[in-house]
Amino acid sequence: MPRDESSRDAAAVRRWTRRVATLALALIGALLLARGVAASNAAVGLSEASRDALAVPRWLYVATGGAAIGASALLAGFVTDRGFVERVHDWRRDLGAGDRIRPIGAGVAALVGLVLFALVVYRGVTGPQLATINFAVVVVFAGGRAGLTMATYAVGNVWPAVNPARTVAERLPNGFVAYPARLGRWPAVAGILLLVWIETTTGVTGTPRTLAAVIAAYGLVTLVGAVLIGGDAWFRNVDPIATFFRFYGRVAPLAWEGGRLRVSLPAMRLVEIDERTESVASDPTIAGDQPAATDGSGTGRERIVTGLSDVAVAVALVWELTFSGFVTTEQGAAVVRRIVDVGLPPILVYAVLFVGGFALFYGAYLAAAHVSVRRVLTTRTPRELAVAFAPPLLVVAAGYHLAHYFAFFLSLSPSLSAVLAAPLSAPTNPIVFTLPAWVSALNIAFVLGGHLVAIWVAHSIAYRLFPSRLQAIRSQYPFVFVMIGYTVASLWLISLPTTTPAFLG
Amino acid sequence: MTDVQSGAVARDVGETPAYDCEDCGRQFYTEDLLILHRGVTHPNALDEAERDAYREAYAAEERAIRSFRLRALGILVLLYFGFLFLYVFYAS
Repeated sequence: MPRDESSRDAAAVRRWTRRVATLALALIGALLLARGVAASNAAVGLSEASRDALAVPRWLYVATGGAAIGASALLAGFVTDRGFVERVHDWRRDLGAGDRIRPIGAGVAALVGLVLFALVVYRGVTGPQLATINFAVVVVFAGGRAGLTMATYAVGNVWPAVNPARTVAERLPNGFVAYPARLGRWPAVAGILLLVWIETTTGVTGTPRTLAAVIAAYGLVTLVGAVLIGGDAWFRNVDPIATFFRFYGRVAPLAWEGGRLRVSLPAMRLVEIDERTESVASDPTIAGDQPAATDGSGTGRERIVTGLSDVAVAVALVWELTFSGFVTTEQGAAVVRRIVDVGLPPILVYAVLFVGGFALFYGAYLAAAHVSVRRVLTTRTPRELAVAFAPPLLVVAAGYHLAHYFAFFLSLSPSLSAVLAAPLSAPTNPIVFTLPAWVSALNIAFVLGGHLVAIWVAHSIAYRLFPSRLQAIRSQYPFVFVMIGYTVASLWLISLPTTTPAFLG
Repeated sequence: MTDVQSGAVARDVGETPAYDCEDCGRQFYTEDLLILHRGVTHPNALDEAERDAYREAYAAEERAIRSFRLRALGILVLLYFGFLFLYVFYAS
């Protein structure tokens, strides 16, 4: 039975009030941004290069980015051919089973992982205590945090093969305690946030010895944990780094599906819900009991997001990049300094910013799911929608990561190859590339590009979720608004001049 | 089956969805949605009458989509010219 007219009228009135309020808020936000710009009179991201070129006020640049997201969501709504949408994300090419190459590759990767781990810890302690030439710092941050992560979402996930802790743990007797399935991936969420926290506040990027200690401690904890609850359960649910790479790896075009190496269009494996063969069950115990893929890259059937904890992982990946972007800008450092001046300890300020911001991002996303359910006539729960629409967040995160780390990786790549070529001796003449200014303009393209692909992925997922195509389009609006919010925040951050975070050295 | 139950209890709008899909048990608020759902998700389980109903619902949906496209186009034009003027005024 349809709902009665009067309640619907009341709902419409409420909706309009909310719309007007939202618009007012957006206007106020834009005006605030405009005031800041009038004071600093800075140009867009290319401030050094384009003094007399076309200068766009920062609020206009940010608003344009937001509008680009909104407009492309509307444009995606123009594609209403179900067959075409299906063809795009179902496209696969088989590259063979790789029967002979796979074991050799896995062996080599495992060896490389073990050797690198040992070298990072050893050289972190004994090497020169200077970040830019120390093997540990360069390999972990330029190699792992930037390079390997980029390779993971651009090509495919090799971390399960490289992971040194996994290599060792699998050769030991393991699995003495059963992992409580109801915890889901929450331990991994906490772990990812903790590692980012350590990265930004403890100076591991500057002091190789601290880094070596942290890496050794991480290796020890991981080994004990993996032996205790079994490698698969540990690396699937608890280990932050394996989870980090597993999630990013889902964006990549290359993956092992059912024992065969297949290539898909980038990010299209994120469309994983298929009503015709499975129900979109939101029962965490069922989800938690799904067989874990031993290679971590997933089979054709395994879904990456099955519960709210996975949603939190995806949001955490988006948030950590926004946060480290924020505290390393001059404005961010100034905000922190101003709060600390009131008399609060800096670490507390950072903690509140970090956890509070994550809660804000996560809450905004969940709120979008609630609004979405209320807007379309559906029996699906907000939780179902939140879980279903979380995979596109990974593309957003990949775009942000590229925007934050691409230039960093390029400029440090000579150092990386130098330390890798001679791990036991400090490079005598470390080279760092100075990049042309247009590289920073690429960042805008990366952020927007990530969001655009995410919109298409979400569009495909909505078509699988809802019987009516208009419902599918309408269900997207709240999420698009949240995406616009994320974009605006990120575009604003990458346009600001960078500095070292306040009080952290 | 758990899916159906969780879907039914979580609504706070009052009325219960009255149209059940006989193949997967999913519930819908209107008959049109049920027909579309069966056509999209269980195309092989449809009988002749259902297939006709699906075609009709699909055509009706197509009309609704056409009006959505018009409105979307309007918004896009507004956005385009809005930003054009903003750039004329503020970019120098």
